[in-house]
Amino acid sequence: MRKKTGLGQKKELDAQLNLTPFIDLLSTCVCFLLITAVWIEIGTVEVKQSHGTSAAQEKKETFDLDLVFKDPTQMNVNLKKNGKRVQGLKVEGETFEALMANLNETLISQVLTFKKKSIEIATATVTPRSTVDYGSLISTLDVLRKNKIVNIGVLTASGN
Amino acid sequence: MILNQSMVAADGFEKHLVNRKRKKHWGLKAAGFTLMLTSMVDMFSMLVVFLLQTFSSSPEILVTKGVELPNSITPAQVREAPVLAISSDGFLYLDQEKVGKTEDISKKPNGLLKKLNVIKKNWAKSHTTPFTGEINLQADKEIQSTVVAQIMGILTSSQFQSIELAVVGHR
Repeated sequence: MRKKTGLGQKKELDAQLNLTPFIDLLSTCVCFLLITAVWIEIGTVEVKQSHGTSAAQEKKETFDLDLVFKDPTQMNVNLKKNGKRVQGLKVEGETFEALMANLNETLISQVLTFKKKSIEIATATVTPRSTVDYGSLISTLDVLRKNKIVNIGVLTASGN
Repeated sequence: MILNQSMVAADGFEKHLVNRKRKKHWGLKAAGFTLMLTSMVDMFSMLVVFLLQTFSSSPEILVTKGVELPNSITPAQVREAPVLAISSDGFLYLDQEKVGKTEDISKKPNGLLKKLNVIKKNWAKSHTTPFTGEINLQADKEIQSTVVAQIMGILTSSQFQSIELAVVGHR
């Protein structure tokens, strides 16, 4: 150990870190962070209910998409231009998961490339049925958002 | 016989006993362990850094009891807004306060509309910017999608047009 010499009193130059309070502090920090940490990521899916308001009428010459559930394994996909239907497709699947896979394929191959041209969807609306649960509705919105269709509205079915 | 004495003048058996006693001592010394403080402090520091990094800075919304949120692969960040919850027990909650039965409110939404108007008035008092119409909607994944659509219709009629559907993110 090096010591200061020449001034009569000898002082230690090497400081020693007191580890006990340091470990105490670290363990308290770990406990606090473990307790307060949020392990489930809660997110949101944004829905803009612009249907029937002036916001929907702003743009011209754009395509709109209309998804109407018949039941959990069947839905109609309508492509509209200026409010008029230009293409109507029926999407089916043996299960709901198969329906979602088919919907994704239909959107890529027949909707977003309409008449061999890539188009943009301004707004999309989903009309659910009472037989379709909320979790399935979110999965449908997921498929739309995955295909970069973000202006989505949910309509109330007239007949259920 | 004293075992710790020098082995110079000892016979073979005594030497054996002295060696055995020494070996026992060595064994005892080996059994005692020292805590590796450096490694422990390293581990603690790494844990603290990891936990601090995972500490979310985004606003967290409280999930209402009895609501199992659906999963989503395209979640966006939660924004601070009033929370309307439709639970699996058939009741509707606005900011954790029970409003009434969902079925009844779908037919007669006056109670809910009044409470939504109070939120709008409070917004106008505390903000100078125009009303954004943002609301977080939590609904149980098992309930009918038409029930959610009806509630969304009520919200839209009350100028809450930017509805954030709460989901559990699975990227």
